[in-house]
Amino acid sequence: MRWTGRIRFLFLAPAVAWVLAFTIFPLGYSLYLAFFKVEQKVEIKRVQQPVLDERGQPVIEDGQPKMRNVVLRENVTTSTFIGLDNFRRLVSDPQVADAVRVTLVFLLLAVPAELVLGFLLALLFNRQIMGRSVLRAIMILPIFATPLAVGYVFFTIFYEVGGPLAWTGIPWLSHPGWALVSVAIVDIWQWTPFCFLVILAALQGVPDDLYEAAQIDGASNWDMLTKVLVPLLTPTFVIVLLIRLAEALKLFDIPFAMTGGGPGTATQPYSMLAFRTGLRFFDLGYASAMAYGLLAVVMVVIMLFFRRMRESYG
Amino acid sequence: MRSVRALLVGTAASALLAGSAAAGQYVDWNADGTVTLKLGPEYDNARITVPQSMLGSAFGPGKQPFKDVTISVTVNGAGPKGGISGPLYSFRPIWEELSGGKVNIVELPFAEHYTKMMLDLRNGTGQYDAFMVGAFWYGDIVPAGYGYQIDDLMKSGKYPQWSYDVMPPSLKTLHQWEGKSYGVLNDADGQVLYYRKSALENPEHRAAFKAQFGYDMPVPPATWQQLLDISKYFNGKNWDKNDPDPDSGTVLHLKVGEQGHYHFQSLSASFVINPGDKVTRTQNVYWFDPADMKPLINSPGHVKALEFLQELHKTGPAAQVGWSLGEAWDYFLRGKAVFVFSWGDVGALCQDKARSKIQGDCAAAMLPSSNEYWDFAKQAWVKLDKPRQVGNTTGGSWHGVISNYSANPEATYSFLSLMAIPPVSKLMAMYGWDGVDPGFSYQFLQEDGGTATLDEYVKAGWDPNDAKTYTKAYKDLFYAPTTLTYLRIPGTFEYWDILDKNLSAAMSGAKSAKQALDDTAAAWEGVTNRIGRDKQLEDYRAAIGYKE
Repeated sequence: MRWTGRIRFLFLAPAVAWVLAFTIFPLGYSLYLAFFKVEQKVEIKRVQQPVLDERGQPVIEDGQPKMRNVVLRENVTTSTFIGLDNFRRLVSDPQVADAVRVTLVFLLLAVPAELVLGFLLALLFNRQIMGRSVLRAIMILPIFATPLAVGYVFFTIFYEVGGPLAWTGIPWLSHPGWALVSVAIVDIWQWTPFCFLVILAALQGVPDDLYEAAQIDGASNWDMLTKVLVPLLTPTFVIVLLIRLAEALKLFDIPFAMTGGGPGTATQPYSMLAFRTGLRFFDLGYASAMAYGLLAVVMVVIMLFFRRMRESYG
Repeated sequence: MRSVRALLVGTAASALLAGSAAAGQYVDWNADGTVTLKLGPEYDNARITVPQSMLGSAFGPGKQPFKDVTISVTVNGAGPKGGISGPLYSFRPIWEELSGGKVNIVELPFAEHYTKMMLDLRNGTGQYDAFMVGAFWYGDIVPAGYGYQIDDLMKSGKYPQWSYDVMPPSLKTLHQWEGKSYGVLNDADGQVLYYRKSALENPEHRAAFKAQFGYDMPVPPATWQQLLDISKYFNGKNWDKNDPDPDSGTVLHLKVGEQGHYHFQSLSASFVINPGDKVTRTQNVYWFDPADMKPLINSPGHVKALEFLQELHKTGPAAQVGWSLGEAWDYFLRGKAVFVFSWGDVGALCQDKARSKIQGDCAAAMLPSSNEYWDFAKQAWVKLDKPRQVGNTTGGSWHGVISNYSANPEATYSFLSLMAIPPVSKLMAMYGWDGVDPGFSYQFLQEDGGTATLDEYVKAGWDPNDAKTYTKAYKDLFYAPTTLTYLRIPGTFEYWDILDKNLSAAMSGAKSAKQALDDTAAAWEGVTNRIGRDKQLEDYRAAIGYKE
């Protein structure tokens, strides 16, 4: 191979290094942590070293070399193979079962609602209405908001004493059931625009001939919707559904900011439990096993997504 | 709270009379051998004049012992005028002028502070020189060798002078580990009862209460059961005329992941702790059985206390299940609740007219006692003839601990110590916004065995009656013959987090009290097994002073 041929590998190198460093290594290291009990001890030694100037010469103050403290540390790491212990714990841990239940209930509340609302809005915006482009731009704004900030904003909206929704008398954040509904409402507010946008794009790709043909055949509006549009849009629905499922399974920011996972663990999704286990309690092996559990589920969803993509678009 | 300067050791006036030998922007070295520290508007431009020797021999006119040194200190994020973080900002320019160094204040959200600290320590990054820690983090810091022992620095005489001798033993022990010193004096945490004296002493309410409950309303309530009756009586009535809406009985801060579980700890202590001269398997224990590390948290005493807390919760706003400290405190300060039991901040905030409508009607007392407790030895309930109040050091008693990775422990210690010298510490405890609460002898009144005078509090803007009951409540609390043992073994953060989650579930009605505490006990067993039962047992015994 000539050097001009080889140079392409040079251009690829930064991307490959990036992926290796930030994707492959953490993936491999967390797998290692899931199977090993890693204990780390640090030995610390303090020494004094002379301060050097730009020329590398010791700085002299009051006739003495100026000294600085330096802390030397030596990490002593021991690791013990524990096999599948962390994964066994995963299936018997009531906290995990609870977090999985919360995540599934959230999925059932949020994702279908986002899809249905997104579709209805897309139907509305697929016709001539006044100020359509402006309204459409406003509609999609929530997608660009940071979920953490959204969580804090809705915390104030759902505030039960003196908040803007206090008049409803609904215990938005203090009741376990309502708190999860509140989290779902915020997610719906943020992600319905995404569903709307994708479905609207699909709707606008439906050829006018089809509407006209259906009208000539005497189809009612309802027939057009159920017998023409829905079958045509089904691949899009499935894709949107799978994307939202994969995202919603990783729910974290909104309940983190809005409810802290509470009351109790009523709004603590699986990702938050994994986060607490790893970065609050430093049970890193178990947290890694949890992360792999989530990864497995998300991978299934992603595989279905790609299969559907292939089926839809060849 | 507006004319604090006069209460300080030496006054600005005396400094002016003495004349300044070297005047700086924040520090004046006076010709009479004193030095004046000049604070900003957040402390009403207070001037603290102390003997030069109190700052230690390292500091002096023309001396800048830590020139070009930068130190980083982490603290719960609350801003330049927030609890615990505020004083760091106020004293930073003073220390920088004294030392020639720089202070980098790293504010971290309460929920993230522990995580960031432990990541720094476990990975040996050494990014931070000190942490403003809660005492319950000690178990994760000190045994692992992450804390810098300060005994030699304290003895050296080179840095600002303060002493553990001003602390009650219950607080002193939180700053040390196995007799070695790590913590620099700052805050003193413990929960006391705050009550609206005028409401409890109102003749109409007293008559109505007696008609309803059949006994005279005690002021303050001596037992939790009396407190519940009073709380029920006042809940839903518009007994406070600050607004036309109905008011509450007791307000609590119960938000999960925050500091709700401390309510349970303080309240349940008198339901659970069996008195005795020493720590045995059944006396003066609360958390675990010191023989085998089995959790005691689901004992009948604990369960009854949680059932009681659930009842008490019904006499406050339902939304308090999701309330943090600030929301519950403000509810009380606005005159909406007759009781709150919380930290020293509340008493000081009552005096802040910008935030409080109840100055002069904000009395404090040591927490009441249960009228019965669960006897671990007899496995039966014991009725008490008279109340037996149990002290507590519930909370973090937030203070500085130096990282063992710090390359500049001396500089860091001198900064933290500057805020620990008695006149500074005394000043800080009189302000509500700064989160520094009283617990040291110079903050207690002379009539209660301390060295402060009522006049000093009055000149600092306090109502005299509020100040009297407040300082006495804290003196009684920290010197109580029986005290709730403080948990600070490895994994305390996790044990408490589990408790917190389950308590929140119980308070929101998702679990019964028994279920919540049984679940807590089961999860605690998992943590103990994971960390190592023998190791935990050893640390727990050392922490509570248990000997076989």
